[in-house]
Amino acid sequence: MALINVAAREIHCKIVYYGPGMSGKTSNLQYIHNQVPRDAKGDLLSIATETERTLFFDFLPLDLGKVRGFQTRFHLYTVPGQVLYERTRVAVLNGADGVVFVADSQKHKLEENIRSLRELAVNVTKQNKKFQEFPVVLQYNKRDVPGALPLTTLDKYLNAMGWPRFEATAATNGSGVFDTLKAISKLVISKL
Amino acid sequence: MDPQLTSQIVPIEEVRVIEECLVRLAEDTSGNHILLLDKSGQVIASQGDGNRQDVTALGALIAGTFASSREVAKLLREKDFRQLFTQGVRENIFIALIEDQWILCIIFNKGTHIGLVKVLTKKATDELSLVLERVRDQQKARDDVLGSSFRTSMEDTIDLLFRD
Repeated sequence: MALINVAAREIHCKIVYYGPGMSGKTSNLQYIHNQVPRDAKGDLLSIATETERTLFFDFLPLDLGKVRGFQTRFHLYTVPGQVLYERTRVAVLNGADGVVFVADSQKHKLEENIRSLRELAVNVTKQNKKFQEFPVVLQYNKRDVPGALPLTTLDKYLNAMGWPRFEATAATNGSGVFDTLKAISKLVISKL
Repeated sequence: MDPQLTSQIVPIEEVRVIEECLVRLAEDTSGNHILLLDKSGQVIASQGDGNRQDVTALGALIAGTFASSREVAKLLREKDFRQLFTQGVRENIFIALIEDQWILCIIFNKGTHIGLVKVLTKKATDELSLVLERVRDQQKARDDVLGSSFRTSMEDTIDLLFRD
């Protein structure tokens, strides 16, 4: 739920990057952190294991500056993708205004994508929110990997809801990262 | 407007009540820093150490800790952990849940007894839950607060800022 502080004239929104392990959620945040101007971002905070896998979450606060007199802030989070962290994902998802689902385009990851998406639907519903109406943007990441599944196949299995979806190569050249961020930000704002 | 996604609007007069409550709590407990957070990790109000630059990250981490403890509670078939206490070498942190929505966090040093903090926090959470109730009840239209052209301006800002 977005928070509007009328006295401080501030608006805060929370966006969570969800998806299976190694699909590129942290890479998305790292790319955004590298590209956004210094005065519009805070530090990228990562709670990761010794092997750089996300343990709890990554956190990146973005400050869009004053819009019509309101200081507007987006807080971006990632969840840990590995199966064993299911409960941790529930915790990070708490109070989210929108989700970017980062899917891995590789053929052998399709089942993991489907499982993770089903879990997201369950977890959003558990928060007393209707999943069909919840703001979600889909990102098909790792499009540059040889043998990446065609978009029609990914759409068939992952996008029955007809969400806005983007192709991306978050870890290599960052293509598609900002298109995804723009889409989810606008979707969240439209629901304020 | 989808009611499940309705934003939480904290009006000016309620922010003042919150601030007064936090100031009182800081004085009575000699707390170094007091934060009122939404469960999503957003800082609603902050009182105390003005030099603290890391309030945003602190809010995200504390809310994360609390949300995580809630999942532990579920596994233990406990209803909720409503309070958390973290003991440090120099400073301690006491965290209390307000209804199911807000989190009150007091950072205090060794000179203050935890018992006092607990008692005064209970008083403050009672007061703040009344504020929360009023915030939830108010049905002010979003456009009254944000203005009708807000979304258009916001989209322009997003396009300008979020690019390679």
